[in-house]
Amino acid sequence: MASPQKGKGQPQDDPAGMGDLSERLKDLSGRIQAEKAEYAETRKLPETSMGDATGYAKGYRLVSEFVAGTLVGGLIGYGLDYLFGTMPILFIVFLLLGFGAGILNMARAANRVAPAQDRVGSNPPPPAALDDEEED
Amino acid sequence: MANDPIHQFQIHDLTEKFNIGGYDFSFTNSALFMGAIVAVITGFLLLASSKRALVPGKTQSVGELWYEFVHNMVRQVLGPEGKKFFPLVFSLFSFVLVANMLGMFPYFFTVTSHVIVTASLAVFVVALVVVVGLWKHGLGWFKLFVPHGVPLLILPFISLIEIISFLSRPVSLGLRLFGNMLAGHIVLKVFAGFVVTLGALGIGGVLGAIAPLAMAVALTALEFLVAFLQAFVFAILTCVYLNDALHPGH
Repeated sequence: MASPQKGKGQPQDDPAGMGDLSERLKDLSGRIQAEKAEYAETRKLPETSMGDATGYAKGYRLVSEFVAGTLVGGLIGYGLDYLFGTMPILFIVFLLLGFGAGILNMARAANRVAPAQDRVGSNPPPPAALDDEEED
Repeated sequence: MANDPIHQFQIHDLTEKFNIGGYDFSFTNSALFMGAIVAVITGFLLLASSKRALVPGKTQSVGELWYEFVHNMVRQVLGPEGKKFFPLVFSLFSFVLVANMLGMFPYFFTVTSHVIVTASLAVFVVALVVVVGLWKHGLGWFKLFVPHGVPLLILPFISLIEIISFLSRPVSLGLRLFGNMLAGHIVLKVFAGFVVTLGALGIGGVLGAIAPLAMAVALTALEFLVAFLQAFVFAILTCVYLNDALHPGH
């Protein structure tokens, strides 16, 4: 570090000049950048080895997403039936919809389906979307 | 009492009953442990940050590790604007983690083994997601429930499924934590109960009690893992759900 090894800063060669200083600064930030990249590389390793432990958590997550979807669907159907007096019909319909929602939740938790948030906002719809008018 | 696995979850008043407006506001063991959790978190973090050494000591290292763990999680999932939610996520993570860990002490009460506690936390998180989403994007946020490129004929069904899927979030978030803590503590208690019951049967029973004892030891280790993982899962799902409200375009 202390060795006076100047890189390309030789032309205006004043020993304590600004050119030398900025050269060293550039050199330092370059090395910090490299160090950071290396650090990020090594940080990735423990995360993948922690994958075993989080696999357990992921399994629990998938199950609970599915159960919750079905449960909420059934409860909504039951509540609507209670309101309208059409006892089994809406319960059955919403239980099946909740089943679908549970599967969707599970697929999303496993990253098999694009998350819903991709749809909101400014990104243009895919070319296949012919039937949405309210895009602005 | 010795062999009743549910007994540990009973709530009892520590002081005499007092009601406010017809509601029971007595100070219970649950309330005591919630206070203890907050005291432990605050006390530990104050202790960890008291020295502010450049080269951290043991306590300070744990404190910094704790902080940076949550900080990295928030930054990775929510990006730089997610910084506003760091205090919230850190509080949630710390509360759930310390509640789970305190529950691992014998004779201690596990706050997170009651569905009302975890459901309140979960409903709060999802309500916050709705509020932040509406505040940031206005009514356009409801497009979350309307997929692109779906034929108009089946769009109502897809929207309904999306809405149910969204509504099931607080349920799954709350139920998962509650279920894990409740089931874990019951299983632990049942296996430990086997050891006591078999041990009372004489020499054959003592030999037979070795297997459930080994099981109880292994389950204790597993429960510590679950206690940490569930706090982690709760915190990271909070971030993932908040991401829906913050970064719709992605």
